[in-house]
Amino acid sequence: MSSTTDVSPNPTGAAAGRPRPGGAKAPARRGKPGGRDLAAALPWITPALILIFGVVLFPAVVMFYNSTRDISLSGLDKGSVGFDNYVEVFQFPYFWPIFFRTIVWVVVVVAFTVVISLGLAQILNKAFPGRQLVRLVVIIPWAASVVMTTMVVYYGLEPYFGIINKFLVDIGLVDTPEGYGWTKNPATAFMWSIIVAIFVSLPFTTYTILAGLATVPGDTLEAAKMDGAGAARTYFTIVLPQLRGALSVAVLINIINVFNSLPILRVMTGSIPGYDADTIMTMIFKYIQNQHKVDVASALSVVAFIIVIVIVAVYVKVVKPTKEV
Amino acid sequence: MKKSLRFGTALALAATASLTLASCGFGGGDGGGDSAGGKTTLDLLVPSYSDNTQGLWEDVITGFEAQNEDIDVKLEVQSWDNLETVITTKIQGGEAPDIYNGGPFAGFAADELLYPAEDVVSPETFSDFQDSFLANAEVDGTAYALPLIASARALFVNNALLEQAGVSAAPTTWDELLDAATKVSKLGGGVAGYGMPLGSEEAQAEAAVWLWGGGGTFGDAEAITVDDPANLPGAEQIKKMIDAGATQADPGSTDRTPLMEIFVQGKIGMQVGLPPTVGQIEDGNPDLDYSIVPIPTKDGSPFTLGVMDQLMAFQNDGDKQEAITKFFDYYYSADVYVPWVQAEGFLPVTKSGAEQLQDDEALAPFLAVLPDAQFYPSSNPKWQATDGAFKSLFGQIQSKPAQDVLTEIQKQVDAS
Repeated sequence: MSSTTDVSPNPTGAAAGRPRPGGAKAPARRGKPGGRDLAAALPWITPALILIFGVVLFPAVVMFYNSTRDISLSGLDKGSVGFDNYVEVFQFPYFWPIFFRTIVWVVVVVAFTVVISLGLAQILNKAFPGRQLVRLVVIIPWAASVVMTTMVVYYGLEPYFGIINKFLVDIGLVDTPEGYGWTKNPATAFMWSIIVAIFVSLPFTTYTILAGLATVPGDTLEAAKMDGAGAARTYFTIVLPQLRGALSVAVLINIINVFNSLPILRVMTGSIPGYDADTIMTMIFKYIQNQHKVDVASALSVVAFIIVIVIVAVYVKVVKPTKEV
Repeated sequence: MKKSLRFGTALALAATASLTLASCGFGGGDGGGDSAGGKTTLDLLVPSYSDNTQGLWEDVITGFEAQNEDIDVKLEVQSWDNLETVITTKIQGGEAPDIYNGGPFAGFAADELLYPAEDVVSPETFSDFQDSFLANAEVDGTAYALPLIASARALFVNNALLEQAGVSAAPTTWDELLDAATKVSKLGGGVAGYGMPLGSEEAQAEAAVWLWGGGGTFGDAEAITVDDPANLPGAEQIKKMIDAGATQADPGSTDRTPLMEIFVQGKIGMQVGLPPTVGQIEDGNPDLDYSIVPIPTKDGSPFTLGVMDQLMAFQNDGDKQEAITKFFDYYYSADVYVPWVQAEGFLPVTKSGAEQLQDDEALAPFLAVLPDAQFYPSSNPKWQATDGAFKSLFGQIQSKPAQDVLTEIQKQVDAS
């Protein structure tokens, strides 16, 4: 959990990173009343600072601190062990499979989410009777509890009484009468988790893109039409480039969200023994829940934190989300 | 241990209610002096097992106080979630209760806080306890806790399915079980012979049923020995069952509760269940034709996986031993104890209690196996880690060699 709050400053930091230099230079040029300015500003920014330190930085520091301690089963701190916990994390034979599975998880979920959302947003952007209603319906997966949504799918997939299994048996896709244990086998459970994750990520992404579509000026579309561009051409050369801002924000937030997502995998793959369907997040959970190793879990959290930062940094460098079109 | 004896979310409500009740109305006195007016006061700290717990204890206390007017018993009921925090805080504050109902006690015994069980009950009461339970309450050969309630497991058999498959009698050995389960599985139509829940929910229980049934053990208070040659026959037999198709599909990742539902719906030939399973069948499918038999073992010798909670007496000032003894003797007398256990839906730990409940059709099969109960090594500090390792790793036995799984579990326990 803590890592969710830990990484959250990055998107804003990343997004604000570019305009900041210009803005920062301005007061410096004015002279050097920096000290007095700061004193005057302090009362106004203190609440925000407290919040940032208390909610964002403090847990991150504690997480890092814990990762270098030896913490007993009952939670007693038994002193420093240096980087032994990290050694344990990396020496765990399933670490690399789990790492690559996490990457697959993030890439597949985010890619499908974005592609499907682009289509959905396009539909919702057209005027048609009942559009308000359809737009509301799209929000439902977002409004519903993720655990609840996942539970519904999980029970649907149960052999013997699951409705999805029953359906697949009835149409002849599954030939055992009690159905197939979709959530009992690592590969299929992981696949279904991806489907659920895409499902719950769609509303946010769709709405972000929808907002982006609303900012595409009508005259650019008109101009394209007058120049004789077809629908596909208009979309790919006029609309899509103008969606850049919305898209990049949607992708960035989705990457972080999906990477840090625990509940879906926890529910869908929770009963599977071993580590063949785990991502880094569920592994952190298993360290805490099953092995009571808060110290090692903290070390893995720090590793996860660094991975997210690297992914985000690479993404920002390559995509340049804030670059003007 | 706590978890397995904790039924339903209603407990939380009950506990809240009990807390408020305990803090106001009860006890009468001002909670001051221990021996106000020449009376001895006994503090009783208990967890809430069900909505009835508070009332049941109050009845016991009313009856006891009527007989012993010089003793005043003060009841405090806590939820299971709070219990251990409360007792630790009380001990640290030098206000340990005189009598405490809880799970782990080895730590208290090691700190010399407890009376040996023999010192706080009469010899008659002491000899009335089932030996297997008393043995489980021992630290270094001395029993420091009194068994309170127990829960045991037995094999639930779907008679109709077995008959259909041409199996005449319920199995008592592994070979018979494998044979019967294979035949039932062959009936087809999604029917499984043996319900084997090795999923994370309670993998340690199903593992114990097999590994111990083959003569194995998880270890004792000193050492956890999962990777032990004695455990291998059981583990191999699990694989044999799976490979023969005698179980439901994907046993390694099937959880117990949903699987029991499927047994209740009549789709599984045999599955290991608990006393509350009887009520579950009553609610879900009262027409089910089933019987309850002892768990089959390698050589057919009787065995069950037991869970028990204890009562223990703290040596506060050392002057209440007599009053405590009186209270325990009163409580464990069959007339008081049996209705108490029955109302809570557990099994009695006394021989006289077992005799009296012999005719209870639902409990009788469990009582029959009770003397052969074996327990988790829960007094071992590493038990918690062992429990977790079983939950997350044991199901792999479906696809991995048995020895590898045992080794992996042992490794994870040792590393904790």
